Amino acid sequence: MEAPKSPQSPNPNPGLGISAYYQTRAEHHAVVTSDWLAQAQAAVAPPSPPPERAAPESGRPFSVVEEFNFWRKKPDLAEAVAAIMALAAVIQSSTATTMMELEIELKKASDSLKKGDRSSISLTAGCDLFMRYVTRTTALEYEDFDAAKLRLIERAEKFGEISLKARRTIAMLSQDFIFDGCTILVHGFSRVVLEVLKLAASNRKLFRVFCTEGRPDRTGLRLSNELAALGVPVKLLIDSAVAYTMDEVDMIFVGADGVVESGGIINMMGTYQIALVAHSMNKPVYVAAESYKFARLYPLDQKDLEPAIRKIDFGVPIPSGVEVEECARDYTPPQYLTLLFTDLGVLTPSVVSDELIRLYL
Amino acid sequence: MPDVQALVGDFVLKLKRRKVEGSHASARQTAELLRSVVSQQRLPHVGQATVLIDAVRAVGEQLIAANPVELAVGNIVRRVLHIIREEDLSSTTTAMEGLGLSAGSDDENAGELEDRPALSAAAVAAAARSTLRAPSLHTLLEDIPESAAIPHTSSSGGDSEGKSKSADKSSKGRKLKHDVIEAINELIQDIDTCHEQISEQAVEHIHQNEVILTLGRSRTVKEFLCAAKEKKRSFRVFVAEGAPRYQGHVLAKELVAKGLQTTIITDSAVFAMISRVNMVIVGAHTIMANGGVIAPVGLNMVALAAQRHAVPFVVVAGSHKLCPLYPHNPEVLLNDLKSPADLLDFGEFSDCMDYGSRDGSPLLHVVNPTFDYVPPNLVSLFITDTGGHNPSYMYRLIADYYSADDLLVQRRA
Repeated sequence: MEAPKSPQSPNPNPGLGISAYYQTRAEHHAVVTSDWLAQAQAAVAPPSPPPERAAPESGRPFSVVEEFNFWRKKPDLAEAVAAIMALAAVIQSSTATTMMELEIELKKASDSLKKGDRSSISLTAGCDLFMRYVTRTTALEYEDFDAAKLRLIERAEKFGEISLKARRTIAMLSQDFIFDGCTILVHGFSRVVLEVLKLAASNRKLFRVFCTEGRPDRTGLRLSNELAALGVPVKLLIDSAVAYTMDEVDMIFVGADGVVESGGIINMMGTYQIALVAHSMNKPVYVAAESYKFARLYPLDQKDLEPAIRKIDFGVPIPSGVEVEECARDYTPPQYLTLLFTDLGVLTPSVVSDELIRLYL
Repeated sequence: MPDVQALVGDFVLKLKRRKVEGSHASARQTAELLRSVVSQQRLPHVGQATVLIDAVRAVGEQLIAANPVELAVGNIVRRVLHIIREEDLSSTTTAMEGLGLSAGSDDENAGELEDRPALSAAAVAAAARSTLRAPSLHTLLEDIPESAAIPHTSSSGGDSEGKSKSADKSSKGRKLKHDVIEAINELIQDIDTCHEQISEQAVEHIHQNEVILTLGRSRTVKEFLCAAKEKKRSFRVFVAEGAPRYQGHVLAKELVAKGLQTTIITDSAVFAMISRVNMVIVGAHTIMANGGVIAPVGLNMVALAAQRHAVPFVVVAGSHKLCPLYPHNPEVLLNDLKSPADLLDFGEFSDCMDYGSRDGSPLLHVVNPTFDYVPPNLVSLFITDTGGHNPSYMYRLIADYYSADDLLVQRRA
């Protein structure tokens, strides 16, 4: 197919290796192409310097949401960890004298956290996990209430460590699955997946990585940046090139926002699509996710989720009356996933429900 | 213990030369060898479990390296390690319970004066138990000293043994060893009787006038079919001959001797016959943790044919064939290439072996793989000695039989 405009401008730019058709199209629709990478660089840079602590002690009433937001800003901290840290602060500032009172106070705090951000699955999962732990830790096991309280706080503060250890465990478990000469497709930016690839690179495995671009927040660019810094061969794909490149790919690695009871995952928009393509071409889809992301949800379809809305910048004004799908994530059902690498071990999707049932029933 | 070393060397050699074949024989002989390793091992007063585990692990490493494809050997080594851990745990738990009981009774008498341990004995025991089991969400927030994923030789038993200051240590040591040997004997018995337990379930699965298809020869399958026949079920069996070793012929003879209606077909006729079949029942070499099966060559084709015609594909296997590992690249890593003599008679193709060709290598090659990998989505049901299970349930059985610390027997250099 030639460009419709070719009679007027037969070959507008022969010197560059860019298809004239697409170039004219780009000019037509004013899609930014040239300073694309520069923009991506800007996007990678942290949006704002981390704010200093809001000094909750200074007379103002303690707010769990503020506390959570403080922890959440830290770049290396997972959401669930931030939630548990915030709940630990609740215990710290609590004046309760019995376990029951403390539980009620925590319940209120975790409800207000959850209400503050309905779309965050790992926030909900972290709150639920910690609440469950509090319920099961009775003061009876300890000398008195204060000892129990101290222990809860201590465990909560250890949780950040647990989360980091979980990432390392996952990276170790997945090493056997990465063989020399393989091509790995990754989607979006996931700290766990990065850790997995980092460890594989430091184990001198030879592999290359295909990164999707991850429109609209270009998280894939960020991952490709990090990988290139490690010396791993990386190829960037636009999100729609997944099926085109799938036959070169040996395995797909994705992270997860949350792992639901069916064993499926909720992850960045486009994961479902990639999993479907991979399934039809018989490629394994591996999920790397820490076990505190296991959430008590059972989505029946894509719309059965609290949508996570985010603005999409198309670079041009959207004509009035045109709707935009702004959801940031999708649900991938378990039948399209091969294995989950978690800190509990390598799991098949059906183990997830089992673990959740064991904890909450 | 030179004689144990000799035994181990002997068995390693047998495994290397493929003198021991089949998972049943290898599993049984491994268990017997490990039993003698355990019984010959001298135990110190402290940390007996650790010493035993190290001894078994060292022998296990050699055995696994001798024939890595015979996964049953590794399975039994891990089972024995798990047995040691469990026996050790149960002895420390009883000790701890005694401690807790005495503390409780003291408490009743002396009220708050007693300085009790911060955690109750039951809680300690629970924590110890959870170190044995695979890590779970349950224990995520509780502190567990060692991570299960990192292979660790120091067991929790070692130090708690040191803490409980019992006077009769030697008798206790003998008790641990005795218990372990007892448990290994049970394991051997389980391996021997697994066929019976599996075939007990035969009547539930095979119905009147059904047509069953199988490939090659598996003792478990044979006993399964015969058990159904003994219960007065009348059904027909199609046996695919299982090239190139034609073990199917042997199975057919055995079935006919038991009075079963049997038809022999070639392996290539499976697709042609599958539409008449009600159920495919086959044996396996190993069941992997994801529910995939390492099976005699040709079975993947049968599984695909069965799926195409929606015929249930049932795998019968004893629990010693359950392997706690996940297959990565199973077609390459978990296969054995046999002698080409199975395919070609000696001398028959001697003209093709003309070494005078351009680069000196013969133009004719023969590849004779032993195993196929059947992915879990092609298997409808597993029948083991504990009952029928879905492929996705296999991990659960595995969690019962193995402890997470033992998944890596070989230490990486």
